[in-house]
Amino acid sequence: MKTLSWSLIGLALLGAALPPVVGAQGKPLNVTGVRGLTFGAVFPGVPRAISRTDAANAGQFDIGHAKFSPIQITFALPAVMTGPAGATMPLVFGANDGGYSSPETITSQVGFDPRVAFATALDKNGRAAVFLGGTAQPAPSQRAGNYTATITMTITVLP
Amino acid sequence: MRISKLSLVVLALVIGASTVQAQTNNASITATAAVQTPINVVGAQQLNFGNVFPGVNKTVAATDLTNAGRFDVTGQASTPVTLTFTLPATLSSGANTMPIDTYTGISAATSAQTGGVAFNPVTGANPSLSGAGALFVWIGARVTPATNQAQGTYTANVTMTVVY
Repeated sequence: MKTLSWSLIGLALLGAALPPVVGAQGKPLNVTGVRGLTFGAVFPGVPRAISRTDAANAGQFDIGHAKFSPIQITFALPAVMTGPAGATMPLVFGANDGGYSSPETITSQVGFDPRVAFATALDKNGRAAVFLGGTAQPAPSQRAGNYTATITMTITVLP
Repeated sequence: MRISKLSLVVLALVIGASTVQAQTNNASITATAAVQTPINVVGAQQLNFGNVFPGVNKTVAATDLTNAGRFDVTGQASTPVTLTFTLPATLSSGANTMPIDTYTGISAATSAQTGGVAFNPVTGANPSLSGAGALFVWIGARVTPATNQAQGTYTANVTMTVVY
């Protein structure tokens, strides 16, 4: 009997120590890239800024997980965009270029600095959207052509 | 085999500790931009008043394809640009000067000035480059030599700046 009790204690501790593979409601952590950050036509020597509130051009990610989950948002932000023949164009992100939206609407955001980790928590719906702006800085002699860069957002569920 | 109660607890903790890890996930998007063709400006033709006589004003119209000054611009097709000018008030020949004024301008998509649009170089203009990414700009003006204007060759620089 005592052995059984200790077994049960051990199993209880095991259950408490193991993190949920899914959320408390059985939800996996979903992170989706919804829309790219689009600068469009850029002219040599003329910086082009896209606001995180730009509904057509701001980058967007969606997050889904267990409701009220504490999370941390981090970005891998490129310093340049790459174009024809290896030409590069500086890409700059500022302290107000990140936007977190629990209602998942671009018109309702909390601004944050995408260059540093941002901690928050999902709401009762277990969903949120993250918007991203930035500034392209073409040189006066910037080579004409199409430029691209990859932006990665990582979500970590906090304990 | 008897398993000690301590062993059971330790086993549970070991299993638990070895599987604790932060849950993470990530996604990527692409930033894109299309850099347009840079602007190139060439001073293609001088504003040439030719022979000028003391006391006799002489005007070169912007419509004078032979004598008007001309700038040739190339850049991104069908894109609006802003033209601004630095216009001298005098021409110089050594220490001697001769007034120049009444500047006129015409911009067009072709070197034949077809469909040209007049503008005032003092205030500048905002034409668009053609579908081929070209723009031609002519400048005319008037010189007013004094009756005792010293003989000589008088010159000055007219500068045009073009930006998107």
